[in-house]
Amino acid sequence: MVRGKLALRLTAPWFWLALGSLPAGGGTGTATETLSATLTPVGALTTPSTATLTTSSNTFQPFTASVPVNYQVRTTRTGSGGAITLQVASDFSPTGGPTAASGALTYVCSGANLGTACSGTQTASTTTSTPVLTVPASACTGGGGACSSQNPNSMNLTFTLVDSPVYSTGTYSANVKFTISAM
Amino acid sequence: MTKKTTLIIVACALLSMAGLAQAQSGTGTTTLSVAVGAEAALTVNTGTTSLTTASTTFANPYTGTTSLTYFMRTGKTTGTGTLTLKVTADFTPAGGPLVATPPSAGDALTYSPTVSSPGTAATGPITATTTTATAVGTWGAAASSAKAGNSASVAWSLTDDPVYAAGSTYTATTTFTISAT
Repeated sequence: MVRGKLALRLTAPWFWLALGSLPAGGGTGTATETLSATLTPVGALTTPSTATLTTSSNTFQPFTASVPVNYQVRTTRTGSGGAITLQVASDFSPTGGPTAASGALTYVCSGANLGTACSGTQTASTTTSTPVLTVPASACTGGGGACSSQNPNSMNLTFTLVDSPVYSTGTYSANVKFTISAM
Repeated sequence: MTKKTTLIIVACALLSMAGLAQAQSGTGTTTLSVAVGAEAALTVNTGTTSLTTASTTFANPYTGTTSLTYFMRTGKTTGTGTLTLKVTADFTPAGGPLVATPPSAGDALTYSPTVSSPGTAATGPITATTTTATAVGTWGAAASSAKAGNSASVAWSLTDDPVYAAGSTYTATTTFTISAT
């Protein structure tokens, strides 16, 4: 029963097609194997765990901080590309100081070496995601050629926070959540 | 057997297509931190204040007013703010008024300050000196100016003494110092 099944498989046409050649009857044979990988769109990013907003002014000029963003992305040929966005996940606390909800926190994007950084001054929001970067279809990080030569890719955000005289003195913190997506 | 193989192939195809269509995403979080401290700054709007008198009888002093804009934020519980002035360069050339060693008893450079809320002006007239800083205004805890600053001023009064030599313009320098905690 077992021997019969084996003989049937060896003579089946699909077996020889899978090997890539039919036996020639001699002592030498070749076989090919097709390796297949399905590449899915990928997006990953890293940002510093903390960034400190500072000012050198004592006339209520704004606080600023530079935040580097490193990212890796691969988009499909036919998809809509990829994007990085941000949202203020938790507003400045404790109370008495600045709030992103009031529109006091803005940012400017620059220096993206893959994709297009957001243009102009963006106002960070606690309720909606705002643009940081857009990546076109058929884009990929690293390796050169059709992909970027850098790995990871990088860009920079400069955050600006209004300094108002009415803020109570103290230290305030807010969490900004970055999201990268790829299709 | 045939039916089973066909089902597996279809399932694999569906899984493969699902992988191609699915968007991938990742996240990262950065904590933005800011230390809001006490701030104090001052703009002297009147770079040079001319002291003048309309009198010809030495009865009225030379007067003039220096306009100021202050920026202030003091600590919310125990903060304070102060504004002072000091004559850092006495009148020159020689022969005229002097703050450090007045030519005659009773000669003086005095001032009366005004400071808009939330500041409090020192009570004038106050005699300016070359040796110590004298008060112009103070602020309490949790005081804040407008973002564009608030107004203050110093109204000067300089004795007109007959012994001052005529024919010269005498100049002194006053330095204002503002601070906040």
